Amino acid sequence: MTVPTVGAPAASSPTARQAAGPRQLWGRLRHQPLTLVSAIVVLGVAVVAAFAPLLAPYAPDDTDFTAVFSPPTADHLLGTDDLGRDILSQLIFAARTAMVVAGGSVLVAMLIGVPFGLILGYKGGWYDRIGSRGMDVADALPGIMIGFVVIAILGRGMLILIFAIGLIFSMNFARVVRAITLTERKKLYVESARVSGLSHRQVIFGQVLPNLAGPLAVQGAVFLGNAIKVEAALSFLGLGLPDDQPSWGGMLRFAAEHQADHPLMAIPPGVAIVVTVLAFNLLGDGINDALSGRRRTRRKARKAQRLTLAAVEAARATSRAEHDARVAAAVAERDVVLDLRGVSVALDRPAGEAVPLLDDVHLTVRRGEVLGLLGESGSGKSMLARATLGMLPAGVRLEGGRVLLDGTDLTAMSDKRMRAIRGSRLAVVFQNPQSNLSPVHTVGRQLTDPIRAHHGMSKRDARARAAELLELVGVDDVQRRLDQYPHEFSGGMAQRVAIAIAIAGDPDVLILDEATSALDVTTQSQVLDLVLDLRERLGMAVIAITHDLGVVAETCDRVAVMYAGQIVEKGAIDAVFDRPRHPYTAALLAAHPAIDRDVDRLPTIPGRVPLAGEWPLGCHFAGRCAFATERCLEAPVALTEDVRCVRTDEVVLEGAHHD
Amino acid sequence: MGKLVLYRLGFAVPQLLVVSVLVFSLTYLVPGSPAAAILGVAATPESIAQVEQQLGLDRPPLERMVEWFGGLLTGDLGTAYRSGLPVTEMLAQRMPATLSMILGGMIVALVIGVGVGVYTGTRPGTTADRVLTGGTVLGIAIPEFWLGMILTTVFASWLGWLPIVGWVPLSEDPLGWLRGLILPSLTLGLTGGAIIARQTRAAMVSALAAPYTDTLTAAGVSRGRVLYRYGVKNALVPVLASAGVVFAILIGVSFVIERVFSFPGLGSLMLTSTIGQDFPVVQGVVLLTATLVIAVNLLLDICYGLINPQARPA
Repeated sequence: MTVPTVGAPAASSPTARQAAGPRQLWGRLRHQPLTLVSAIVVLGVAVVAAFAPLLAPYAPDDTDFTAVFSPPTADHLLGTDDLGRDILSQLIFAARTAMVVAGGSVLVAMLIGVPFGLILGYKGGWYDRIGSRGMDVADALPGIMIGFVVIAILGRGMLILIFAIGLIFSMNFARVVRAITLTERKKLYVESARVSGLSHRQVIFGQVLPNLAGPLAVQGAVFLGNAIKVEAALSFLGLGLPDDQPSWGGMLRFAAEHQADHPLMAIPPGVAIVVTVLAFNLLGDGINDALSGRRRTRRKARKAQRLTLAAVEAARATSRAEHDARVAAAVAERDVVLDLRGVSVALDRPAGEAVPLLDDVHLTVRRGEVLGLLGESGSGKSMLARATLGMLPAGVRLEGGRVLLDGTDLTAMSDKRMRAIRGSRLAVVFQNPQSNLSPVHTVGRQLTDPIRAHHGMSKRDARARAAELLELVGVDDVQRRLDQYPHEFSGGMAQRVAIAIAIAGDPDVLILDEATSALDVTTQSQVLDLVLDLRERLGMAVIAITHDLGVVAETCDRVAVMYAGQIVEKGAIDAVFDRPRHPYTAALLAAHPAIDRDVDRLPTIPGRVPLAGEWPLGCHFAGRCAFATERCLEAPVALTEDVRCVRTDEVVLEGAHHD
Repeated sequence: MGKLVLYRLGFAVPQLLVVSVLVFSLTYLVPGSPAAAILGVAATPESIAQVEQQLGLDRPPLERMVEWFGGLLTGDLGTAYRSGLPVTEMLAQRMPATLSMILGGMIVALVIGVGVGVYTGTRPGTTADRVLTGGTVLGIAIPEFWLGMILTTVFASWLGWLPIVGWVPLSEDPLGWLRGLILPSLTLGLTGGAIIARQTRAAMVSALAAPYTDTLTAAGVSRGRVLYRYGVKNALVPVLASAGVVFAILIGVSFVIERVFSFPGLGSLMLTSTIGQDFPVVQGVVLLTATLVIAVNLLLDICYGLINPQARPA
């Protein structure tokens, strides 16, 4: 079977999804002014090089002994050298040398490096092992040394110079190509292409090479700049082209000889090199950013607009009044330890608009209780944890609301006072067991630092306390364990350490931010049991942030359900699970496979959580809700009687099935 | 520790062996014969044969290789074609200048690179970050030898603060040695510093975005401690991993800027030997340089293993 267009099923090929299309790339590049300027400079140098004879006022070797070492004049805009040759003209002709040598050597580097890297990456195994060791050997030599050796062996000349510089950079190309080929080869679609009978050649040209185009363009631009630098250095040393061929490095060689008397001669060629190399490097960086979609944001954001729609304010006022009324008694009894009142958080976009991430969150945590915060990913649960601790990411700010800890507003606190709160009053354990701990510090050090921050203990006392804490969270052999590094701990054990760090300062509220989600089921329940046990012993409240209904059902006293930045329903766990009042809660419960139920297929909630910035004005869940009507979308919905639904009294919702 | 050194030696020794074999075979790559290259236009078949016999080039490759490795073990790198001097002696004479410059350059590079990298990495997006990071982009684009020329003109010719001609042996005049090293070290160090600063900044930014930063901050550890104790040590891991490459780059750069500062180092020896096709000397310089780089890499690998527990052999 001959397939003229390799990798033919272009429409379904994942390649199209992987790399940014040319149009998309251009769209991004347009917003990178520095990249555009660099491209113009590169283009300018190329044009100068191409039309050198037309542009230069003199031939490069025209001597004028009446004007030796002339300063800049109308005749010689940049002056002349020791033989009265026009510096501007030499500069222009030298641009030609630079571009030809740089272009040629990058071509040579690719011709050697790309096939080499492809073979190593594609064949793998011994090819790769031996070839990679070979590249390591090449690393032992400075690039310019390879240039020296090639010229020592072959002599001087244009082609030799191009080959020498090309050889220097070939290993860099090989490395890049090898790495990309390796990852591409492992991807499913190449595997499936192999299975479906495409030849090696078809796979390489159809699947691998298209993905190499972008990185090669980046490397190409950067190495064009580097090649110009190397060419200049070799010419400066007299190893480049013959002396009658103008080059920037050669001009600097003459300038160096006359440096004491005519130091300014070094300026024009030097500036020419810097500008050209800089332009190539910035172009490479720019293409790289555009390929990876990392757009350089304009820093100066206009003053972010506030969400001051009257309707929004009205809904918030209702929620606030409701909340105040409902918690007033508990607050009066000093039963409430943490009280979030109307917390709203927004991301400031560079263009000036504010994207809401949390909208009007009211939540109370009572002393010693376990509160579940339930929702799909993207609902804003983790952002709520960060807002509570005053650890919002850069660019995200508190847009409204208060965080009251025993009646004190944390949002008004200084960084310094907030630091004293963190760990000692509020603490958090994040999701990833391993990366929660610094890989290059011992567990002991990571435990003693927070301990000493809170209690001002001596090192020895802090270590003793650290040992106690580790024992408390169920780690055995603590003295040995304290001197170990995180990679020597299993996921469950690492998470126990993270919990020990969190409770080092005896917090009143411990937030578990998906802290057990990455663990296997057995470990997960062990860690949860530990937390419940700690709560008993230390009398702290726990907020368990999770997307797992099982976790909530097993551990929590109360639950708050979040959806797209809002709390949609909250209440005692049995009440909410048995008689959900918000369609989203009901849908979550329906999607959760109960063990005793015959499940033919897993019910899921159709659609996805709308992204921040795409939230409707009205009910955020309306787009996925089976009960939605026009009314749901008309105006912002307030949280009334602990549920955020305008139809809650009209619809009949099914709760969880108990055994 | 001993295990770590042995483990790393297991990488370095074969690498050195391969380099030695490659360096040995250089003369076989010369089109025609090295003898013809030495004789130049005056070469006749008879004179070439005579020179080849004198230099032992006519003997079988295996015999020559055994001799070459035998020489290596006793520190004998042969005799220069042109001067007839032992290559080892010529290299030894040039080493102090090159090593002094590299040492000075590496110190400046590390101070500037780590300093600027940590400073900018802890405040990304600020004006200070943009200015300094822009400076590193410029630092990488500037040809080092040109930078050296400018620094000489400004600090030696115009301001007269420092001597124009650099090298004074340490044994003769320690202060003069130091003064002569300032400009070359600065030239080398600014270049190397720009590279290290970029790596350090990137490493610092990602270290500070890592979850353990949040864990410690949330546990009440002060920002300064999180930044400088935890952030910097984590950031040093990738920086250390690429420091060997920076060292190799600096050696290459030192070879070029020797000319600017009239330094009698390995670079000028390499340059004259390259032009004169004096292969024993070229081989000697290449081998010495490679050995230096491999040795420094070995040292850095050991440091890397010490700082990064995951890189220690089990």
